[in-house]
Amino acid sequence: MTEQIFRETTAEPRTQSVPLAHVSLELGHLYMEDFEEGADRLREHFARVKPWADAAHAAAAVMSGGGRARVSTCFLVDDYFTQFSSPRELVPLLLGEAKAAGLEIDYLARESACAQADGVALAAAVEGRLVESPAEGSDGTRPGARETGWLSNGQRSPAAGTAEAMGRVVPWTPPSEAGARRHSIFVDVELWSADPRRTWSCPFLASVWQLARLGLLRHRGNPVLEPRGLRPDQALPETWSALPPLLRLNDSAAPFAAYRTTSVLPSRFLPIEHAVRVILGQVDADSGALRQVAERAAGEGIQVPAEIADRAAYVFYPGP
Amino acid sequence: MTPPDPGPQTVLCGEVRTSVLRTSEALTARTATQLLNLRPDEHVLLSERPNLRVVSPHQLTGVDCRLPALTGGRPRAVGTVAVRAVLTEGRVLQTSAFARLVPGVGSHRKPWGHYLLRPGDIEPLARHQARDVVEGFLASAPLPGGVLNPGSIAERLLDEVLRHQLLDQRAPFKSGRTRLRWTALPAAEGAQASIERFTVAADGLRTVALRTPSADPSAVAALCEDLALHDWLLTTLLALVERSRLGSGDGEAVLAALRPLVDHLLHLWMPGARVPDALAGVWETLERRPGFSRQWQSLVQRIRDQVALRTVPLSRPVMARS
Repeated sequence: MTEQIFRETTAEPRTQSVPLAHVSLELGHLYMEDFEEGADRLREHFARVKPWADAAHAAAAVMSGGGRARVSTCFLVDDYFTQFSSPRELVPLLLGEAKAAGLEIDYLARESACAQADGVALAAAVEGRLVESPAEGSDGTRPGARETGWLSNGQRSPAAGTAEAMGRVVPWTPPSEAGARRHSIFVDVELWSADPRRTWSCPFLASVWQLARLGLLRHRGNPVLEPRGLRPDQALPETWSALPPLLRLNDSAAPFAAYRTTSVLPSRFLPIEHAVRVILGQVDADSGALRQVAERAAGEGIQVPAEIADRAAYVFYPGP
Repeated sequence: MTPPDPGPQTVLCGEVRTSVLRTSEALTARTATQLLNLRPDEHVLLSERPNLRVVSPHQLTGVDCRLPALTGGRPRAVGTVAVRAVLTEGRVLQTSAFARLVPGVGSHRKPWGHYLLRPGDIEPLARHQARDVVEGFLASAPLPGGVLNPGSIAERLLDEVLRHQLLDQRAPFKSGRTRLRWTALPAAEGAQASIERFTVAADGLRTVALRTPSADPSAVAALCEDLALHDWLLTTLLALVERSRLGSGDGEAVLAALRPLVDHLLHLWMPGARVPDALAGVWETLERRPGFSRQWQSLVQRIRDQVALRTVPLSRPVMARS
């Protein structure tokens, strides 16, 4: 507004930008059950990931128009649902096995960081940004169903028996997927449980993880989950909580966040990532962050899909 | 004569709820910021000049419903309605829900992500006459079910904020809520913003029809919040003055009734304080006729006179006689 002479910065929203790579390549997710199978399991995993990682680099080179593609790699370790091993024991093992397969892990994230990082409740913030896809007939009079902790990709079947107290039985009707192509694939995702305290579900944390990797998370305009390295004299800690939520392992790595993400995961993750798509399709992401990504991409001559869910690509390799 | 409708036009529409904040002390900037922190990861906007105005981040509600229409069919439309809460001088709470109807492309609902990337936009899935939508929206006092209803979204947020634990639920005076429903059609090329009508219906619903140069919905909504705030101030002051039985003999009672007005309301009058130049013409029109500020000044003067008269010691008339 050119007419404005008096300005108050507290009255104007602002969003800081984050550096962006072309592609954020996830080399894996580690849970206790994988870890318990020992180093062989990790070795096998990285061996299976390697050809797809090479393909992701090649695809990124095409995306960057033949120039040097900026690809950063990351790895997620669960310390939210179960805590196992320790950073001091696990991180060298992980890096060693990756290296043996010809892979380098640039950033290591803790799963709990997707719930809370550096004092910021990321998962709760993303939950506050869910805007449910409305069923036909939603005129604004009904409150959202966010209180239930479930999010679907369409319209649920009416609950059996709900109206029986009134002497009527509601006939069963099938659920339907919004925007289905002829037939529905209806998905209802549990976002959290409350037993006794709120526990975020794996797909919900995985959605926060995708948003972080796409550079779309902010806290009051400031970047969150910023990568931090260890000081040269600093040893890996004994406990996960003492480790930075997002650890930079390679000082010359491309930026953590990127225009697109690629995740190479075993096929058992397919339902989780389907749920992630359902969630990402209903997140009203920070508009300032979205705009920055779009402007930067346009400046670099790169195409970024408009919809957030379409920015995430996957490779599901066979196996558990 | 009105020219024939040129076809799909962008229409802005919304509804504002205004209420006193139920708290004995007006909130400070700090507490107001806590109250309106609707989305923990977003800024609460705070402005202290020329008065304290705190604005919450927007929330979105998804809608897939019919558009109101006076004569024609009611086209289905899909999108989101934005809603925010605004607190003026820590005392008057407003919630404001608004949307922009944009001429849509195609007759099928798109993936939801498409609508989320256009927050506050609603796309009709069939051809509609902007003028007909405006008339339908402003005419039907309770909107029929299944028809776009920003008022209910504003109402829900108002209830939610008023229940907040920061509030001690003790309002300093009795007052009602007001509802103001508004629309804005594009102004003619090169024309300034103008107001076509401001109506107070029997059931208390205020309706405002505007013409605005291509402005952003948030700025037009802010203008309507400003109109609603001052309409509420006048309405509330009139009701309280009437209830205080200004001309009656019971000086103590009248003073007790006027006191909260002086403490909490009289300094709030500041029409158009933050309205951008492009929209300022609306206030100029309203100030000419009916003359909101004229009525306010005359009421304030009456209150001040009464307070002055009734606090003057009784010895004064005696001295005057001697």
